[in-house]
Amino acid sequence: MMSGAAAPPGEPAMREQILTAYRWMLLGRISDEKYASLYLAGGKIYGGVFIGKGQEAVSVATAMALNKGDIYAPLIRDQAGRLAFGESLLDATRTYMGSRLGPMRGRDGNVHRGKPREGYMAMISHLGAMISVVSGALIARRAKGDTAAIGAVSLGEGGTSTGAFHEAMNQAAIEKLPLLVVVTNNQYAYSTPTSRQFACKNLADRAAGYGIEGHTIEYGNDLAACLEVIGGAAKRARDGHGPQLIVTSVLRLSGHGEHDTAEYVPESLKNSKTGADCMQVTEQAILARGLATAADLERWRAQAVLQVEEAVATARREPAPDPDADDWCALATPHLADGFNNGCQ
Amino acid sequence: MSITYLDAIREAQARALAEDSRVYIYGQDVGAFGGAFKATKYLATQFPGRVLDAPISEDAMVGSAIGAAIEGMRPIIEMQYADFSTVGFNQIVNNAATLYWRTQTKCPIVIRLPSGGTPGSGPFHSQSMEALYATYPGLVVMTPATVEDAYSMLLEAVEIDDPVIFCEHKYLYYHLKADALPTEAMPTGKARIARAGRDATVVTYSAMVHEALAMAEELAREGTEIEVVDLRSIKPLDTDTVLASVARTGRLLAVGEAWPWGGVTAEVVARVACDGYNLLDTAPMRLNAKETPVPFHPNLWGTHRPTARTIAQAVRELLRR
Amino acid sequence: MPKIPIIMPQLGESIAEATIVNITVQPGETVDADQDLLEVETNKAVMTVTSPCRGSVQTWTVEVKQSYAVGAVLGYLEATAEEAARVGLDEPAPSTVIDENGDHNHHEEPAEPGRTPTASRDTVKPTVRGLPVPAHASGASYLSPRLRARMSDLGLHAADLAGVAGSGAAGRVTIEDFEKFISQIERNKMSPASTMRVAVADAMRRSWTRPLATVALPVVLDPVLIHRKAQDPKPGPALYALRALALALAENPAPAGRLVGNRIVLPTAIDVGFAVEAEDGVLVPVMRKVDTTPLAALTPKYNELVELARQRRLPPTATGGSIATVTNFGTFGLTWATPIPLPEQTLVLGMGAGRIQPCWDAGTKQFVPVMEANMTLSFDHRVLDGGAAGRLLARIAALLAEPGKL
Repeated sequence: MMSGAAAPPGEPAMREQILTAYRWMLLGRISDEKYASLYLAGGKIYGGVFIGKGQEAVSVATAMALNKGDIYAPLIRDQAGRLAFGESLLDATRTYMGSRLGPMRGRDGNVHRGKPREGYMAMISHLGAMISVVSGALIARRAKGDTAAIGAVSLGEGGTSTGAFHEAMNQAAIEKLPLLVVVTNNQYAYSTPTSRQFACKNLADRAAGYGIEGHTIEYGNDLAACLEVIGGAAKRARDGHGPQLIVTSVLRLSGHGEHDTAEYVPESLKNSKTGADCMQVTEQAILARGLATAADLERWRAQAVLQVEEAVATARREPAPDPDADDWCALATPHLADGFNNGCQ
Repeated sequence: MSITYLDAIREAQARALAEDSRVYIYGQDVGAFGGAFKATKYLATQFPGRVLDAPISEDAMVGSAIGAAIEGMRPIIEMQYADFSTVGFNQIVNNAATLYWRTQTKCPIVIRLPSGGTPGSGPFHSQSMEALYATYPGLVVMTPATVEDAYSMLLEAVEIDDPVIFCEHKYLYYHLKADALPTEAMPTGKARIARAGRDATVVTYSAMVHEALAMAEELAREGTEIEVVDLRSIKPLDTDTVLASVARTGRLLAVGEAWPWGGVTAEVVARVACDGYNLLDTAPMRLNAKETPVPFHPNLWGTHRPTARTIAQAVRELLRR
Repeated sequence: MPKIPIIMPQLGESIAEATIVNITVQPGETVDADQDLLEVETNKAVMTVTSPCRGSVQTWTVEVKQSYAVGAVLGYLEATAEEAARVGLDEPAPSTVIDENGDHNHHEEPAEPGRTPTASRDTVKPTVRGLPVPAHASGASYLSPRLRARMSDLGLHAADLAGVAGSGAAGRVTIEDFEKFISQIERNKMSPASTMRVAVADAMRRSWTRPLATVALPVVLDPVLIHRKAQDPKPGPALYALRALALALAENPAPAGRLVGNRIVLPTAIDVGFAVEAEDGVLVPVMRKVDTTPLAALTPKYNELVELARQRRLPPTATGGSIATVTNFGTFGLTWATPIPLPEQTLVLGMGAGRIQPCWDAGTKQFVPVMEANMTLSFDHRVLDGGAAGRLLARIAALLAEPGKL
């Protein structure tokens, strides 16, 4: 591990950081579970629901390593990180529920949401594709003289098998971009186990091949470790040390999507330390270190439930997209839209 | 002074770089070397830090251009050959082309595709990719046939707030010359009547415009007047100009250098059949390359693609129908 | 109290339906929001359907082991108004319209007056419109789409261009030929064709699409003329022929059949028409069931219809639906003609003018004068041939030789 030698935060700051992170994780978990439940209740959610259960710690730690003005490209299991980065819970809920008022206005759904002009990239389904997009944004920032910004891309171990991943890692290394690539190895790409995904011992070893710095977080359910390592890597990137590859292991505590019962996950893995739920691990740590009381945790959970229910009720009342009101124009330059008029459409 | 089609592309890029600080060029060997075809010769020296060599990573090239465009830049990506753009295909059609529609974020990138065949280039350095990109919503596809269009359309492409696939024809790079750069331009989306005629309409684009004009010259000596329509951009495709021409002549031949399945010629014929059936004196015709990869040897290559001779044969058949 | 529907969820992208495996909550039981209600099985997995809100299960509308489509209502939950409001189910539920293609058209806003939520589908236009152009079709008979469109504008038919020599490929009429022809005829004096003329033209043009042929037989009319003298009112010779034709067809209706595709459509009744000249055209009154009506009864009916036809006042019961027509071109002094059957008929029987002709009498071995007329039969050669047509004519002639039996 080549972790950045960031000084550990002082006790009050550390407490604040852990509790802030925990509350984002909690909101991420509860909203994810609500979306899953709405999906199973039928008729409320279009398309699939892909939740980040078990990955909240690393997701939130990545987002919290970013400042306002940085660039973030989350992936499908980053509900918690998206909220921590600054996405409104209502916008997330609107996208799932197809509200016309959401950022995607019904044109795209669930996890494919974002506000690119605000540094919050909207993922496409093709894995590895968003790394070079963040690189390009960082190239543009550099060209404009903004050297303070960094970018972070979230990826699973499956995404590291794509050509796009390799092209983009190599490109980022050449350009020495302040880029974090956080690979969360959650043991399964849909149903494919890691043994059929890669043959190297540790994906972080690939960093050396690209000529960049690599970091390993042994247990991605350890919030403090995630905050420390990803925060340190972010500082390295900000200080001009180029791209940082961070790899951690967790267990996806859900199916690939809510249609998938994930019966292929063996009990031994579920009962391992890697398989532990980061929410429970974090709650135990908070109580053990006396950072908060059980009553605090209970209160925060109740608040998060209320927030989520309010967002769902609001989004549900909002209008759906109206096919007759859509301009059906894919171009920002409408006069260049091809007029398939008359007989041809 | 004589300006080639390639000069026009370089001059357009030089002007875009000079006039707009948001523009940069990214592609393999485009820097100090000046590009495989010299389309960026001297530009790296003239505009330091803004004409950048890329690794052989077409996916990452296009992906980074999308990111830069989101941040307000106007990148020009040079694919060394149009053929290699398939490696970046995913970023072009799934990321760049969908970005505005999904997120209302403009994606002003230009992807230059040195397109089409030249003798001896073979299967992987000769392809005409325009129809492949034109099928995707969210892209503009330009296919300039003249020095003037190569210059003015590339400048317009940089200004357009959408991804533009700029199909520049390699055969025309050095073969086509003009006296000077144009001072005014037709807007993209308008086709051009390259030659007026009354007996039949030939609709084409890019290098095939010149084969069609040579054919029309030959047939004029026999007293047949062929109208040649240069589409200029295949997306948008100027259906109105095509229909107006067919209304004058009653006969249509669509010619393209790309393969016969689907594509631009099929699209032109489909639109005329749907919207202008009653303008036709006879069944329209299409002429395309042969249904094989593009051959290497000049003898085979010269037969694989349409030429003035084979276009003339097709027009004679069309007039007999 | 609001009734909240429990809906079959979309359990994966390609899943259209699921089977109920187990209902875990019975009607009357109270449930919490997100509580499991029943288990369903898709071809991928067993999953649970959860409760949309807190309430009590009012009823199940499904049965275990049965399959239900995604989106189907599985049952209802009774919830308090507060609870429904809390989860946002107090507004009318969004109506999800699923069309035949499985597309979801989601409409939450009330439809505008006068338009239904599915109105947008009316604006869908076909991807391809128009007819295929016949490839390589050429020659004088080929009319290009452009020429057809121009002719249609002017209300012209292909037959109208019969006199135009085309200058195009293989002699086809080009648009230039056509426009020249139109401008040339503009210089002639023209008069509008009457409605009757246009109707006859239309019938004849349609009829002429078939291969028509004519056979003829000279018939001795003396027995008919002798018989006629004793009748009151006196039937005309054409009526004798009409009755004879009807009896012959009653014996064998096959020659009056119509060819449609690969089948002969046989007549259901022996209704026969006859041609009456009216102003600027021809009318064909029809007499019904002629085979079962004796000649004496036919005569007043025949005379009445002739008069009504001349006045153009034929009742609907006396027009259309006939299986053959008789035309007496002999009234114009003509001895020979090739009439054209009506488009919906296979046969037309013609009678020429009677003339006194020498006829060899084998008994006295000398020529004797007889009244003779040509009887013609024009027919659709697709349905019958010269032999069958000749046999029908011979049978009619035989019947006319014994007019007392008609």
